[in-house]
Amino acid sequence: MRPVVLKTVELTVSFGGLKALNCLDFELCEGQFLGLIGPNGSGKTTFFNALTGIYSPASGNVFLYGEKITGASPNKVYDYGITRTFQRSRLATPLSVLDNLIIGNQRNLNFGLWQNIFDRKRFKAELKKQTEIAEALLSRFSRDLAALLFKPVSSLSMIDRRRVEVCRALISEPKILLLDEPSAGMTPDETRALMDELQDWRKQHPLLATILIEHEMELINKVSDTCVVLNYGEKIAEGRYSDVATKTSVRAAYLGED
Amino acid sequence: MAANRLVGRSFCGTRLITMSDLKTKLEILLGVALCVVVLYGFLYLEHEWEIGLLLVILPLAILFLKRANILSDYQQAARTIPRFTLISFIVGVLVLIVLLRDEHFALLMLTTVLLYVTVSLGLTIQFGFAGLVNFAAIAFFGIGAYSMAVLNYHFHALPDLLIILFSGLTSALLGALLILPILRTKGHYAALITIAFGILLRTFLEVNDVFGGPQGLKVGAIEILGWNFSDSFPSVLGGGSFYMAYAIMALLLAAIAYLLTRLIEASWFGLNMDSVRLDEVASASFGINIPRWKITAFMLGNFFAGLAGAIYAAMSGFIAPASFNFSDSLLLVSIVLLGGIGNAVAVIPAALLIVVLPEKFQVIQEYRLLLFGIVVILILRFRPSGLMPRGLRQYFPRSST
Amino acid sequence: MDLGFFAQYLINGLVQGITYALVAVGFTLFFGVLDVIKFSHGDVLMLGAFTALALFLGLDRLSTPTWLSLTIMLCLGTLTMALLGALLCKFLVLPLKESPPLNTLLITLMFGSVIRESVRLFFPNGSNPKPFPALLPETSINWGNLNLRLDSVILIFTGALAIVLTHLFIQKTRMGLAIRAVAQDEETARLMGINFTKTVLMTFALGSGLAALSGISTGLYYQEINFSMGLMLGVIGFSAAVVGGLGSIYGAIVGGLLFAFLQTLGAIWFSVPAYKDVFAFTVIIMLMAWRPTGLLADRSAERV
Ligand SMILES: Nc1ncnc2c1ncn2[C@@H]1O[C@H](COP(=O)(O)OP(=O)(O)OP(=O)(O)O)[C@@H](O)[C@H]1O
Ligand SMILES: [Mg+2]
Repeated sequence: MRPVVLKTVELTVSFGGLKALNCLDFELCEGQFLGLIGPNGSGKTTFFNALTGIYSPASGNVFLYGEKITGASPNKVYDYGITRTFQRSRLATPLSVLDNLIIGNQRNLNFGLWQNIFDRKRFKAELKKQTEIAEALLSRFSRDLAALLFKPVSSLSMIDRRRVEVCRALISEPKILLLDEPSAGMTPDETRALMDELQDWRKQHPLLATILIEHEMELINKVSDTCVVLNYGEKIAEGRYSDVATKTSVRAAYLGED
Repeated sequence: MAANRLVGRSFCGTRLITMSDLKTKLEILLGVALCVVVLYGFLYLEHEWEIGLLLVILPLAILFLKRANILSDYQQAARTIPRFTLISFIVGVLVLIVLLRDEHFALLMLTTVLLYVTVSLGLTIQFGFAGLVNFAAIAFFGIGAYSMAVLNYHFHALPDLLIILFSGLTSALLGALLILPILRTKGHYAALITIAFGILLRTFLEVNDVFGGPQGLKVGAIEILGWNFSDSFPSVLGGGSFYMAYAIMALLLAAIAYLLTRLIEASWFGLNMDSVRLDEVASASFGINIPRWKITAFMLGNFFAGLAGAIYAAMSGFIAPASFNFSDSLLLVSIVLLGGIGNAVAVIPAALLIVVLPEKFQVIQEYRLLLFGIVVILILRFRPSGLMPRGLRQYFPRSST
Repeated sequence: MDLGFFAQYLINGLVQGITYALVAVGFTLFFGVLDVIKFSHGDVLMLGAFTALALFLGLDRLSTPTWLSLTIMLCLGTLTMALLGALLCKFLVLPLKESPPLNTLLITLMFGSVIRESVRLFFPNGSNPKPFPALLPETSINWGNLNLRLDSVILIFTGALAIVLTHLFIQKTRMGLAIRAVAQDEETARLMGINFTKTVLMTFALGSGLAALSGISTGLYYQEINFSMGLMLGVIGFSAAVVGGLGSIYGAIVGGLLFAFLQTLGAIWFSVPAYKDVFAFTVIIMLMAWRPTGLLADRSAERV
């Protein structure tokens, strides 16, 4: 068995009286591709937010490689090598595509005062390197998009914005990637292309562990190793998609029966 | 391929001075000369009808230049050789100062514009880049002015340039008092905190005898290497009003502030500040240390304001709490909004309009806050990015090809 | 300290506190429905007071009886400001709904400055303080060191009544229900068939009316008003709302009273009167840093 990279123990997040996550136990292994599914409002996004330090859990713990990181700030979580996309796109729309991608690569930027303001030659070299990385990454996903590197994100189509968001999460070569409905609004063909690229990337980075939130069951079936089903903040099933999908409790949750 | 576009021609082999290079430079110089002439008229003319005529012709001329694409070509040219453009404009303003050497009032206005430009550049960093509203700009300007007065009086032995520097630092450090509450709270609260700070600072100065109370303080003139700025300009250098020295100093300060603002914008600093302004959640999720950038922007902006205030104090020779009103902070914010939030160049024409127009028209003088208030409301309502909207970040001069 | 003095400070503080609370309730209402800060609030208050003054000057010529003047001033002053608030919302605030929240703040701030300047420039001799008529009965009871003015009692009572009525309006009426629904979740409220624009305009009218009321009370209490009084009162009202917890009416009341209490404390401690504001604001800003979402509002996380 591959080592566990991420683990939560009885993780609970509540908003007032509502328990958006209730005592969730969860494990993710190196290189694993995990599908996270569940009806609307079941706490999937909340789970990502709790992992990345945006919401602070009411109780329970998060472990990364066995080290407790519960309540770590979002910056810390990024430094640990966890990146994400957002369900509702959160790009800096007035900035260029390049700027947005470079923002994602914070870890590898030099923030020295001297280099940034005075030694512009060295800054130029770093910029050139970042630009090449960004361009190479974008052109994996879409050649046309790579040509829009210097255009503001606001001029991009929704689909391209999604791609940019995925690239922003990938550019720093994270250890754990959290994708929150990245293909929302895409046609099946576009979705397939995006997933193919992701699989390709995973081949080159075999240690990368991924959690994908997705409503399209076909897709989950195709790409995920295992999946976890949430309902009302609780885990109601776990395992291979084909096993999970036949469970009565899961069907009931999706059909709204109790 | 894209990377090539970025780094421009210095990577494309040896740099030859071609005809097109020369042509671009001549174009820039021509533009500078035109600006100097217009500014000369704007500052020198006194009759309202003359200025009025200028104000009718100017927009028409700008419209024409815009229609004929000359303006955008010019901007394009300036972007390819920004350093040359900046130096040309500095020299242009120096020429302007020499041309106006006997005009006390025109020089005073010019200096004020340059100092306001410096403060507005500080606001551009705070507000345009990092998204921190600061409605106490004039308070930080005032802190610089009072520090100048007090330090100059008590530490007369210190070189004045050092005192100016200290005044800027005092302003930045006192501003640091506000940082904790600003960081802990959300956007609008920063507005509240800075407004309260501005009002309270004025009250504090008024009731405090150490600072001269409502009557204010006298400020000694700047003296550098035995040259007292309050004497008329040395005759070796052609002579002229004592304001010339202050104007030159303010010009240097504004130029440095401009260069620094631009360099910040074109570096990872500016990138991160923009990111913090646009989306704090996303920024934090990608490892951006939000407090670090907010603190940097806030302190640097107040530092600019403090430096400008120190020079202002020395120039006027006298300061009082009444010259640092909340409405002046609003005027400064208006400059930034009118020009175009985050666009460092735009604050220059905006400051010119907002400072000089009221001095030229008696009507406007009385109604200026009302008028500018209405103008800014219209801007926010119908053209929120200002008269000269900020463009995409440009890290390095664009290659001419 | 002597009990009479203590009671005196308490009464004066209460009058102040209720005035602040009235302003703070407005901020809380606007923030509730639209998540915006309307910075012109203090200047609307000032304009309300000046409108009332203008009405009085007109009515005085017709030698109207005092009680009638007062009623007309209160009603017309409040209504005019309510209308102004709704207009401001319709033409300056709602159109900016999709732009950055900072723009709303700026546009209302500038609008406030326009109101202020207009009064200064166009009200006869507007740049000087104006005497405000003493229309309330001037009787007072002396009780040891306590000088209990009847007008203070009336003002406290009126202010409290206005707040209670606002509270009832929001809790008990259909319109109030709509306001609460919009404050909770705009999308859902729209889906439920609530007229969003109408609800928001109504809220702005209500808040601005309350501001006018507190402006007139201030005039009646101090018997003097000036064009820049709104700036400080607006900033105080906003601080009070924030410290109490934006969006909560109880918070606004607590914040308003707290601010007045701090000022009173400052006035007792410091010999220089101006320091009482410095003191109050310092404490309030420290409280804000300690509890950014306010003392009473629940700490809800921004939805991501
Ligand atoms: N910041 C918040 N404040 C209050 N309630 C919240 C907040 N964030 C989420 N919730 C509530 O928590 C529950 C879970 O929401 P969450 O967004 O995690 O669902 P989800 O599984 O991602 O749904 P969807 O498939 O629609 O994206 C919902 O009932 C939601 O209303
Ligand atoms: Mg979700």
